[in-house]
Amino acid sequence: MSQKYPGVEWIDGTGTFITIETHKCTGCGNCVKVCLADCYEIAGGKATIKNLELCMECGSCWYVCTAEAIAFAWPKGGTGFRTRWG
Amino acid sequence: MQAYDVIIIGAGFAGPVAAKKCADAGLKTLMLERSENVGEKVISGLTIPIYGFLFGPAFIRDGNPPIERPVDGIINYIITDIEKGEIEIDDTLKIPKPFAPIVAFGYNAYCKPFCEWEARKAIEAGAELRTSTLVTDVIVEAGCVQGIITETGEKIRSRIVINAEGSQGLVAIKAGVRRKYPPETISLADIYDYEMPKDRVDEIFGFSVRFCWGWDEQRCSPPLGHGNGLMVWPYRDSLHFMQDQCLRMDTSSVPNLKKMFAEYHHNITSKLPWWKHDVEPHARLRAHMWEGFEIYVGLHEELRSMPNHTDGMILVGDAAGLESTELCDGVPAAWISADIAADVAIEALKANDISRSFLSRYDERIKAHPILQWSISGTNRFNLRYAQHEHDLTKLRRYVHNGWGLGALTHVSTPLMKMLCRHIIANPMIIMQWMKMFFRYYYNWHHARFDYSAFPASAGKEFAGSKSDKRFRACFRLGQVFLMLCLPFIWILAILSFPLAEILNPAMKMLLPVIEPLYARILKLFAPISAQLSRSMVERVIRTDPKLFEG
Repeated sequence: MSQKYPGVEWIDGTGTFITIETHKCTGCGNCVKVCLADCYEIAGGKATIKNLELCMECGSCWYVCTAEAIAFAWPKGGTGFRTRWG
Repeated sequence: MQAYDVIIIGAGFAGPVAAKKCADAGLKTLMLERSENVGEKVISGLTIPIYGFLFGPAFIRDGNPPIERPVDGIINYIITDIEKGEIEIDDTLKIPKPFAPIVAFGYNAYCKPFCEWEARKAIEAGAELRTSTLVTDVIVEAGCVQGIITETGEKIRSRIVINAEGSQGLVAIKAGVRRKYPPETISLADIYDYEMPKDRVDEIFGFSVRFCWGWDEQRCSPPLGHGNGLMVWPYRDSLHFMQDQCLRMDTSSVPNLKKMFAEYHHNITSKLPWWKHDVEPHARLRAHMWEGFEIYVGLHEELRSMPNHTDGMILVGDAAGLESTELCDGVPAAWISADIAADVAIEALKANDISRSFLSRYDERIKAHPILQWSISGTNRFNLRYAQHEHDLTKLRRYVHNGWGLGALTHVSTPLMKMLCRHIIANPMIIMQWMKMFFRYYYNWHHARFDYSAFPASAGKEFAGSKSDKRFRACFRLGQVFLMLCLPFIWILAILSFPLAEILNPAMKMLLPVIEPLYARILKLFAPISAQLSRSMVERVIRTDPKLFEG
């Protein structure tokens, strides 16, 4: 269980469920601003995914990507975050 | 390739409701859920409003679902200056005693146990459930949805699909029924769960939820400019804390929510007097999580007019964008829409017609549902942002009062009366079910007595047969007989009132300024006696055999 976010577990094997089409990215940083799990960073004027380890699959990055550069899908069935305190 | 009559995508709040009804009708029904265990990816702060229980699926109304605490009112804190402690209170929306807390305004619940409870009911009715199964697409043949495709490429055919996948709607987008919602219609909810001893929760919160409203520059929730608010829900022995923000306001730039949420959470917990003094010393953080959900889809003209069905598929709950714009709560809409979708699916399969022209009756029924339409079109919460722009305290007070104070009667009276009349006209006996529900839910909450939970067998039983129990049972039965005798009159009254329901909202707008001070004075005058009556009623309810409230 993560120390950073108590009460939540992550099950391995998600696969890369969020991807960025770099040529479409404008480097606006919206994804960095809304991701509470700190999954994104801007490097060389483009957004890149640092890691998806703490992603809670809220989809906010996908919604705010007005350049449509972020492709959002769900992690593989039975993987990803889970909590009993939702 | 397996074949089903109905496939339901998602086992959250809506999916199992549709699954149970379809299975009860003898249809071969399959529910598919992407998480390993039902409900473990469902996150919300949650008071399920009472209209979900009154007008929603019968098995919930008549059942014993796991609830965390009944709610009898809202206390609104209007924070005008957090540093100086200038905080106004609007606690006018409250079920009066002696009715409260037995008669509740809604029920707080954790999502996982509630969704599990629903799913077990669906399974008992004969529906199949497959977890850890991610649906990525639909089978389309001759322009019609004929089943689903999982991430492994497995194709499962069905005669109709009910899509209860939630807000993001990835399958609905694939099927061309939805498009990605714009960020100004989406809210990001940052949620904290705190453990707190039950007696402290009882003492500090009782049965009231607390909402906070304030100005952006206070740097404590809610920054109204971006939408929503801060809410604290008391649970059995915990608190649920939620701050939520729209991802974008209108078409302006996206705020730095990561920074804002951290700052607001720190400020509110360290500066808000009642949190600092009453909560902080007794609460222990147990979980921190967040979710994205649609909030203003119903206020978006283009999105609102999108059909909630296509050939062979119906969208329900959050997947259909039916989140409440006022209460930030999608559960009653999920239940009601899933119930209607199941009816339409059953009719469609019986008529052997799953075309969009047949399924359009689903949209017609959704549009004709007064409570659903009210819930997705309320504008008070949305309008708070203009109070923020103008920094107009009078406006802020008015919107808070009209949204979550007694002023709510100016917009909820008509749909509520219409639904009450509709149900009573169709079946006056439902009043007995409603009455039993309130008593049973309170009893269940007090004794933590829910289906599938380890019910303390002795609870209540030790009092059975005592003098006070006998007296209470006699009074309860007498009340039932009296109500039965009144039913024909109530039925006639409902028929007569139905056409008048339309004028209730405007009438309330006119009358409330006069009635409200009078009502407050009467409540105050009778406060000591009504509090005593309420206590004495609760004492008797919890010390009787729950069979009294069943059937």
